[in-house]
Amino acid sequence: MTSPITAGDKLPEWTLPITPTLVVSTAIATRDFQDVHHDRDIAQAAGSKDIFVNILTSTALCERYVTDWAGPDVQIQGIAIRLGAPAYPYDTFTFTGEVTSVEDGVATIKVVGAVSLGEHVIGTVKVAA
Amino acid sequence: MSAVSSSSSERGTSERIETPLVPAAVHEKVMAEAERIKAWGEAAERVARDEVNQPTINNWLEAMGVDNPRFKAGEAPPSMAQVWTMYGLGGKPADDDPLHSMMRALTDAGFTAVLGTNCEQSYDRYLRVGERVRVTTALDSVVGPKATGMGVGYFVTSRNTWYVGEERVATMLFRVLKFIPKGAS
Repeated sequence: MTSPITAGDKLPEWTLPITPTLVVSTAIATRDFQDVHHDRDIAQAAGSKDIFVNILTSTALCERYVTDWAGPDVQIQGIAIRLGAPAYPYDTFTFTGEVTSVEDGVATIKVVGAVSLGEHVIGTVKVAA
Repeated sequence: MSAVSSSSSERGTSERIETPLVPAAVHEKVMAEAERIKAWGEAAERVARDEVNQPTINNWLEAMGVDNPRFKAGEAPPSMAQVWTMYGLGGKPADDDPLHSMMRALTDAGFTAVLGTNCEQSYDRYLRVGERVRVTTALDSVVGPKATGMGVGYFVTSRNTWYVGEERVATMLFRVLKFIPKGAS
């Protein structure tokens, strides 16, 4: 992206298949060893359908989505997320986003990462603009 | 997830009878414990096992599918701030950790289930390879009881602050719902 960030800008939709490998590799890469993120038997015994994506990865995917759009030099100042439906393997993330404001050198981008069960993550990402 | 702050029931008449979500004695005990733990302020400081390092960044880049030259040239992805001070395999919070002390108090009061609801990270700057961060934890607030779609519970918010030396580099508000699962009693 070369033009300045403007309120109302829409980010291109991004889809990401949620494989068991994605769930496990991102959990371990974020040093999150909670068993529900890598052991399906334990996750199911705890009442979950399957292993599920961890919170650090939900945040990281918001970071990636905004950076892929804004470019590698973007300076991310904050990522606030609200969590909704769990993200299970064999589902797909669909990310959408829109710039909601640009004020005092800070652009605010609303990001939604949806899965088949609904919105998994609703993020507010602030970047220098 | 939506939450309502009170419940009422109708018992044969149009008169609405307020029924507490949680016995008053239990609520008072929970809130007293919250005040006690909040007073600790920033506590349970711990230092990252490793300095910010390229191999750990590379593992994260591969898993997340990120290919950004900045993260091969000395900077770390901002949302990795939390990664450096994760407990690791088999690691456990200290006994005086404010978040886990509050979680324990709620578990003991019957609010056994937990669900992460919000995570708000702010980055003062991107970290650099070679820096070693430390983190403190404070109990920010305990709000409830609330009747939610998951069950009756309390929202527990903790605040983490990461430092390099004396410089603050990142903060995080993390909120969980500690609740009695619907159907259990």
